[in-house]
Amino acid sequence: MVEFSAIPAFGRQLLTGISRPAEVGVRPTSFDRLFDEEYAKVAAIARRVLGDPDAAEDVAQEVFLDLHRRFGDSPGAQAVAWVRTAAAHAALNVIRGNRRRAVREERYATDSPPAYDPQAAVEAAETTRAVRAALARIPERHATILALRYSGLSYAEMASALGIGVNAVGTRLRRAEARFRKEVGDAPV
Amino acid sequence: MHPSDGTLRRSLDEPLAADATSRAHVASCARCAERLQRMSADAATVQAMLASSDPVVDVAAARSRLAGSEAAGAGATTPRSAKPLRPRNARTSRVLAGVAVAGLASVLLVATGAAQDFLSLFSPTQLAAVPVTAADVRSLAGLTSYGTVSGGPKIAYQAEPDAAAAAAAAGISAPVVGDLPAGTPPAAKFAVISGGVVAFTFNADLARAAAVRAGGQLPAMPAGLEGSTLSVLISPAVVISYGVDPAALLHGGTLPTGEALVVVASRVPMVTSTGVTARQLEDYLLSVPGIPAGVASEVRAIGDPSQTIPVPIPVDLATGSTVSINGAPGLLIGDSTGLGSAVVWQHNGVVYAVAGTLTSNQVLGIARTTH
Repeated sequence: MVEFSAIPAFGRQLLTGISRPAEVGVRPTSFDRLFDEEYAKVAAIARRVLGDPDAAEDVAQEVFLDLHRRFGDSPGAQAVAWVRTAAAHAALNVIRGNRRRAVREERYATDSPPAYDPQAAVEAAETTRAVRAALARIPERHATILALRYSGLSYAEMASALGIGVNAVGTRLRRAEARFRKEVGDAPV
Repeated sequence: MHPSDGTLRRSLDEPLAADATSRAHVASCARCAERLQRMSADAATVQAMLASSDPVVDVAAARSRLAGSEAAGAGATTPRSAKPLRPRNARTSRVLAGVAVAGLASVLLVATGAAQDFLSLFSPTQLAAVPVTAADVRSLAGLTSYGTVSGGPKIAYQAEPDAAAAAAAAGISAPVVGDLPAGTPPAAKFAVISGGVVAFTFNADLARAAAVRAGGQLPAMPAGLEGSTLSVLISPAVVISYGVDPAALLHGGTLPTGEALVVVASRVPMVTSTGVTARQLEDYLLSVPGIPAGVASEVRAIGDPSQTIPVPIPVDLATGSTVSINGAPGLLIGDSTGLGSAVVWQHNGVVYAVAGTLTSNQVLGIARTTH
């Protein structure tokens, strides 16, 4: 009798696999259709990096504006990969800018952190800050693949978005996770 | 030879991607097991830290905003390193592969309890569709964020020589498959997928941490919730397949490119609980921050969870509709590409499923003549 213990992962892989228009040849080609189908995903990728939903939507708007400016109403089939990668890069730009600003502000800060938050909220805010700081410090290629992976892209989709082979995705993701974890420390979250 | 870090890492997320040789090696190599464990721990940490619910976006409003920005001539920032667009290679084989597994996914998820994350909360006699995205699935898979999952699934797949042997091994009557459409591969394969017991024990500390990570707080707990255990007995399933070998699929074999059909039958899972009722536990879990809002509202809309199986339907491609199979309530899952479909129904305490690279009418025809 052959035993396997990966059934849940298998089921999820099938389910996520068939959830990918990329794998069934259904590709949007018009800007409008691309916007409708990809806007939520682009915002989700940005949110993984930024943590904040409003800031994530700002980035999504920027990405689609830029896409339209560059490629007009018929951006082509590869636009899906383009907007996803662009979402990660644009969001990383934001936190890198914020980090520089935060350093400047910290230099002149005199107030203590607000004391009205319950402990849980304070811990959550600290975790959020630590995550953004770590994403800003690690190499961009690492931060990008983490944003793509943890917003739900499959390995095939990541390979397409990053322009690398699917085998290289695992290697880069592994390095990115190890580096990220090192940056945030081994404290349980 | 030890597989590369990249291969090992991918195997955590996409087990089918690793070939059988790699899997066999990892299963017997202490060093690789240790590497895998380290990778898994790192991945779990990263996932927990990056976890946040997807933003709820209003696409129509977003489109209006974009139009306003364009009209105002607002300059867009240029994302760095964005690649020039290039034509995409045709992926015909992937098309067929994706569709071939479409039906299988739902069947296996339901009939084998593969989606323990879904089924462990429900004792089903009815079926209802819950549209899910990949992100939803991952979020629900995070039940371990709210407690401990034990006892499974250590599921085994056993090929059997014929229907009678499969039925005897599974302890149910084997379905007699009805009228097959022309072109169905004639040789049927028979097998049994073993069952098992999966238990989930709620842990308030874990749930509180998960709620905080999702940016919220743990709602007030009903009395007796802490330490409550939900046990799900998953019965063995008979699998009859044509043109595809589910065992080979599970172990990294190639997907079929031609006609494929799978028929599955299994007793409905049974749920028992200690502490609080299954309904109370489900209601509470659905109220914890981090559960996708869409899934939570869909599951609530289904009604009494002790009566209904929520069947996960990939929202991007498939659609679900209720059907009647000889008087029994069923759920038809149509792949919107038109290349594959499945039907799941329940009759006399047994869940049946028919799935394949067939039209909706064809799977319904098979289902209505299967007994």
